[in-house]
Amino acid sequence: MRRDPHDAPESPNSPGSPGSNHATEPQPGSELLTAYVDGVAELPPDERHQVAALLAGDPQARADQAAVRTLLDQLRDLPAAGVEPDWAAMERSIHQAVGSSVPRPWWRRWKWLAPSAMLAAAAAVVLVMWARPDPISEPEVHRIANLGSPDPQAAENVVPLWLDGAEVDVDLSASDLLGALEAHAPGESDDDSAMQPGPDADAEVDLLPSTNLAWVDQLDEDAIARAEHWLAGKKG
Amino acid sequence: MESLAAGLPLFKRPPSTAPAVTLADPDHELAERFRNGDRVAFDLLVRRHQKGMWRLVRRYVKSDADAADVTQLAFVRAFRGLSAFRGTATVRSWLYRIAINCALSWLRDHRRENPTEIAEDALTEANPAPAQLSADDDRAWLRKAIEQLPPKQKLVLELRVFDDLSFKEVAELAECSENTAKVNFHYAVKRLRDILGADHAP
Repeated sequence: MRRDPHDAPESPNSPGSPGSNHATEPQPGSELLTAYVDGVAELPPDERHQVAALLAGDPQARADQAAVRTLLDQLRDLPAAGVEPDWAAMERSIHQAVGSSVPRPWWRRWKWLAPSAMLAAAAAVVLVMWARPDPISEPEVHRIANLGSPDPQAAENVVPLWLDGAEVDVDLSASDLLGALEAHAPGESDDDSAMQPGPDADAEVDLLPSTNLAWVDQLDEDAIARAEHWLAGKKG
Repeated sequence: MESLAAGLPLFKRPPSTAPAVTLADPDHELAERFRNGDRVAFDLLVRRHQKGMWRLVRRYVKSDADAADVTQLAFVRAFRGLSAFRGTATVRSWLYRIAINCALSWLRDHRRENPTEIAEDALTEANPAPAQLSADDDRAWLRKAIEQLPPKQKLVLELRVFDDLSFKEVAELAECSENTAKVNFHYAVKRLRDILGADHAP
C-alpha cells in the first residue's frame, strides 16, 4: 500500500475511538476495502488484486464488505438537509451579479500592455547600465594618462645614444641590469668582460652624450661591434 | 447528483467550431468556451453545478437562504477566476473548492453574530411527525454519527457519498493524495459502523 507520509489519513485508533482496540497492523488491502466496495473501477489493478485476495481468504472481510455496502446505501438514501432554493431564480441572480462581459485574466488584458511595455523598457535600461563597464574614475584616468610619460626623476638618468643610425635611450640606472643581461647571454661569455660595468661605468656613459657626436669617431672597432651587437639584441 | 447530460445540447455545435478540448469532461469544454469569450458557457456551468454546490455549502451553513447566498457568492468568484483556471483539477472540484472556501469564510464572519445558531434541519428533526418517527430517528442517528467523525474523515465521506465525487476529486478537495482519501474513506465508514453498532442496525 503506497502512502504519502505528509498526508497520512487520520488515525483510526485515536484515543477513545471505538476502533482503538485494533492495535495490530492492518492486513494488506483491508484499508482499501471500502473504496473497493464503493468504486472498484477507481482502484488501480494492484490495489484491486490486493483487496480481492483479502476477500478470497478472509471470511470477516467478506462480512465487512456486505456491511459496508449496506451502510453506504443507507447514507446515500439520506435526504439532503434543508429545502432547495428556486434554481431558476438563483441562476438569474448569479447572471445579474456577474454581468455580461467575460473577464480576462490580468495577463490577457490590454490595459496591462502599456505598463508592461514600460516596465520591460525600464528593465532593459537598467540591465544595460548594469552590464556596462564602470566609468573610470578621475585619479585612474590621470594614472593611465601618465603611464607613457617618463618619470621626471627617471628622465634625468636616461641618456640618448645614437647607434647604428638610430637614437637609443639608455637608462643609466639600468646599466647594471644591462651588464648582467649581457653577461648571461648564452654563447657570448668570451665578450663579457668588455661589457662588465666597472667602477668607471658612469664616467664612460658620460662620455657618450647625443648632443656631441664627436665621440662616435673616437670609438674603436671593438666598442662599435659590441654596441651593434647590443642594439641588435635589443631590437631582436 | 444531477445528470451530466444537463448541458448536452450545447455540444450539438458543428465540430469545426468546437474548441480542441477533451470531450470526456463537458465542464472543461464549457470552461474553454468561457475563456474564449462565450458568456453563455458560464450560465451552463451554473446550471450544471448549482445544486451540488448548494448542497455542499448547506452542510456548512445551517440556513437555506444563507446557503443560497454563499453559493451565489461562490459562483461570482468562480466567474472572475475561471479565465485563469488552468485545468489541473476538474472544473467541478475547482468549483467545490471555491464553495467550501466561501462557506468557511461565511462561518468565520458570522460566528459572532450567531453563536448559538441552530440548524434548521435539527429543529425539524426534533419535532417529527409520529408516522415518520422511526425513519427520522434512523436518519438523525446517522447524521449524528457522521458529526462525530474526525473532520477529515467527515469531509471525505461527505464528498464521496453525498456529492458523488471520484476519489481523485475528493483528494483534490481534501488536499491529500488519492490513496489517503481512500484510506480516510475506509476509516470513516469503519468508525461509523462502530458508532452505530457492530451491525449498524439502528
